Amino acid sequence: MRKFKGKKATERVGQGILWIFLLFALAIFSVPYLFMISNSFEKFSFSLPFPPRIFPKQIIFDAYRYILGLDIFTVAFRNSVINTVLTVAIELLVATLSAYGFARIKFPGREVLFKIYLLTLMVPGFLNIIPQFITLGAIKLPFPGLKEGLVGTRPGLILIYVATGICGHTFFLRNFFRGLPDALSESVIMDGGTHMTIFTRIMLPLSKPAIGTMTIFALQGIWEEYFTAKILLGANEAMITLPMLLQRLNGEHATRWEWVFAASILIQIPVIILFILFQRKTVIGGLSEGSVKQ
Amino acid sequence: MPYDIKKRKWKKYRKGILAALPFITPGLVLVCIFVLYPMLFTFRIAFSDYQIVKREITWIGFENFISVLTAKNSSFWYAIRNNFLYAFVTTPCIIFLGMFFAYLINNLSKGKTIFKVGFYLPVITSWVIVGLVFQYLFNSSNRGLINYVIVDVLHLTKNYIPWLLREWTGNTAIWIMGIWKNTGWAMLIYTAALQGISKDLYEAASLDGASSWQRFKRIVIPMVKPTTYFVLVNMVIGSFNVFIQVMLLTSGKPNGTTSVLQYLLYDKAFNQFKFGEASAIGLMTAITIIILTVILNRGLKLDTVDKEETV
Repeated sequence: MRKFKGKKATERVGQGILWIFLLFALAIFSVPYLFMISNSFEKFSFSLPFPPRIFPKQIIFDAYRYILGLDIFTVAFRNSVINTVLTVAIELLVATLSAYGFARIKFPGREVLFKIYLLTLMVPGFLNIIPQFITLGAIKLPFPGLKEGLVGTRPGLILIYVATGICGHTFFLRNFFRGLPDALSESVIMDGGTHMTIFTRIMLPLSKPAIGTMTIFALQGIWEEYFTAKILLGANEAMITLPMLLQRLNGEHATRWEWVFAASILIQIPVIILFILFQRKTVIGGLSEGSVKQ
Repeated sequence: MPYDIKKRKWKKYRKGILAALPFITPGLVLVCIFVLYPMLFTFRIAFSDYQIVKREITWIGFENFISVLTAKNSSFWYAIRNNFLYAFVTTPCIIFLGMFFAYLINNLSKGKTIFKVGFYLPVITSWVIVGLVFQYLFNSSNRGLINYVIVDVLHLTKNYIPWLLREWTGNTAIWIMGIWKNTGWAMLIYTAALQGISKDLYEAASLDGASSWQRFKRIVIPMVKPTTYFVLVNMVIGSFNVFIQVMLLTSGKPNGTTSVLQYLLYDKAFNQFKFGEASAIGLMTAITIIILTVILNRGLKLDTVDKEETV
């Protein structure tokens, strides 16, 4: 009994040391964040404060108020939300279908095609922007705003986002689908079910953690995407996205770093909330559940 | 009879294709139009003198490659050196820190989530934002936090270091940013791997009197080997996609000595409008990545076979 108690005490001390050590490490890791937050509360004074601040001197929200009051911030926020949600929704549909095809259906040329998909992942993507630009310009659709081609339009940007994400996401999900047991799908086939039945009834429900993880990464990736949007949307002011706005703020008001930092934090908040909300439901959440049971 | 077999085979083929079509087609069409076609187009530009305004493409063979590789002021060799250095420096740091933090977090009985989210925060932070913050942290004057700590707090040197304007300090800043941004990702992958190790193993080891460090060395490191390979391959290949750090921190200054392949490519294409040379760099980067992937996979596969045999 006493021995047991002693073990518990040393364990508690061990946990305490672990906590302190991790907190210390986390504090060092958080320095860039603390720096950003505390400087977003600064008053305008042409240059960064000296000594540099990690903790805010005062909490004033002037910079935040200024950014939130900008009409263009509302426009950019709306655009970013629409682009991100639509892209990821379409991406999920296309990528899960492709991944199932590659993982579970035997068709001639499957391996070759998959190797080509893999190969595209190794080629630096952003040179493609020039031919992509030209191709988008050539796609003229009989809808208002799209008659002159898709350059500078939302559908054009979303098409490029979806298309460039397919190979990677297909690769990721195919591996996951392959790891799922065959027995269940065989029983569906015995009952006369089709691949569509297996896909919707078995694969999708079983792959929730993988799909969830993919969704978060895709949401975050599109939310912060700057380069493609800048080139494809360029002059179209009505289509501006948050990262584009941030770069513009930084370019125009390099000395108003409190605005730049406030805008950075505002842009980052939805991603952090999303991650915290989702983290229990994805791969990460599944893992912590497992540890609780033990 | 052979005809029959042929027919049956063809039927099987057709059945496979018909079954796969509804699944594969949407993705394949998009990939063909917006990924494969542009890639072939880039390939062609690499061997041409491409004028984007005139939309003219003239075949010039290997001229772009030659001028990239041999031009007197070409920073190509600096760029490729820096890519390899980035891989050599950041990958071990990321693997070690990721594994270490994951192990510690995994040993916590309470508060795992706080630390997981905390260390993961840099990963989900936009590159553009991280770049801006690091620009200020590595500011050349006393307003930069790093300079302040080194000169005013620790008194290591007397002069403020112009971090982002010198070759090696600039590269160091780029490496630190890469390590900071990616450690959380490795940590998360490792926490997943550590969950897979049965608790019995630890308990057996503790009963035998193994210390935490011994457990880390003897159980954790060997058990997460496959994960380490995964992280290693991802980080090494990722090192050849480094771009935003360089664009935001140093822009390759001074004289391209902190440049990397992707930044060089960007600079050639979008600042100098030399699309031919940019495409040539892109192609050479791709070949480097493909060779590295093959080498790494060969090396690692051999190892997994060995491991299976010993187990």
